[in-house]
Amino acid sequence: MDDALNKIEISVNSATCYKNNNLIFEDINIELKNGDFMLIIGPNGCGKTTLIKSLCGIQKLEFGNILINNLDIHSKNSEYIENIIYLGHKNSLNNDLSVQENLEYLSVFDSSVGSNNFDKIKNAMDYFNIYKYKDYMISDLSEGNRKRTSLARLVLSKKKIWLLDEPLSFLDNNILDSFVSLIKRHQANDGIVIVSTHYDFSKSISNVKYLKMETK
Amino acid sequence: MINILIKKELSLYFRNLNNIFLPLIFFFLIISIFPLVLGPEKTLFNKIIPGVIWITAILTTLLTSNNFFKEDFNAGIIETYLTSDVSIEIVLFIRIIVCWIFTCLPIVIFIPIVSILFDITFQSSIVILLTLVIGTPILISIGIFGSALTLGLAKNNILTPVIIIPFYIPVLIFSASAIQSVSAGLPYDMQIYILASLLTLVLPTMPYLLKYTLEISINN
Repeated sequence: MDDALNKIEISVNSATCYKNNNLIFEDINIELKNGDFMLIIGPNGCGKTTLIKSLCGIQKLEFGNILINNLDIHSKNSEYIENIIYLGHKNSLNNDLSVQENLEYLSVFDSSVGSNNFDKIKNAMDYFNIYKYKDYMISDLSEGNRKRTSLARLVLSKKKIWLLDEPLSFLDNNILDSFVSLIKRHQANDGIVIVSTHYDFSKSISNVKYLKMETK
Repeated sequence: MINILIKKELSLYFRNLNNIFLPLIFFFLIISIFPLVLGPEKTLFNKIIPGVIWITAILTTLLTSNNFFKEDFNAGIIETYLTSDVSIEIVLFIRIIVCWIFTCLPIVIFIPIVSILFDITFQSSIVILLTLVIGTPILISIGIFGSALTLGLAKNNILTPVIIIPFYIPVLIFSASAIQSVSAGLPYDMQIYILASLLTLVLPTMPYLLKYTLEISINN
């Protein structure tokens, strides 16, 4: 890919969101460019998840807009959807499929993974130490291993913008380091990482921006 | 891509064999209730059995499609669908077809046995089979549409049938009319053509409609 295609700027302008007439968040302004890492921090119920969902376009805003390279994410010719990968706090895993089958299936929804990706999936499972569980059904795994399976999609994907909602829940400290180094690698590859969390794990990460949200 | 999708759907159905056999058992149970309720009068029963088969088929499709997206919604897979850069219309189309194959096709296959059990004439049973083959994919598509529509609501068990049964009426009218025509010795091809045209209208448009509906449902 040439440089012009790689360059990404996200700007969120006075975003305000209501759900059933309840104010979720208001007047959020964000500016992000390649290599940035943004931490959305706040107490329960302050709208972190809703903000992440707005950023990936599945939650509509009441006021304000979200632009990527100066195009609204809801406009027709926006390249937004080709650039984002969203990992919600729900793992998006099918209980009746094995770890490997789930990753195979989920990589269908990500055109950046490409086809013939058996080795890539093996690498991704190795990265999060779940290769030994590859034939286990998701329903037989612990919550932590489900989270690891979900995060393994990040190793597979070549998308530039990561939107992660509470990626640390259920993860142990051993895997946290590999997760942080994965984020650093992504930053070095001109990626953008947006994370909502309770726990600030950004000590060793550079280019960190904070967004502190408060309960309304 | 498509082979992974089909493989996934098939392995999900084959791992839960309940999903295949329960609709069929349900179908037979409901059908066998009618003789118990109506008594052994054969002339009356011969008259209403095609209608009974259709009502039972409707109940089966309602029950199987009611919670079609529920599990995926709870797991967050619907969000992955909607943030994906591949066209999820193909995914939804495959899922509709596979759902039909595993819930309605067994019923269609067992229609000859039902016909023998209830002494339906060969001509009538052919038309019943034909209307079911064309009609049930429409019913399943509409049922799945209803389940997408009520996805965001917490308690939707009875709401979905209330919303979608009115949409079943056109299919029912033409199926019933075809069956009545054949038992009266009249031509029935007009009704079959209309059913077929409904199918070709509903089936290709449904994935697009579903995607749009899921977007709205997830926004709530």
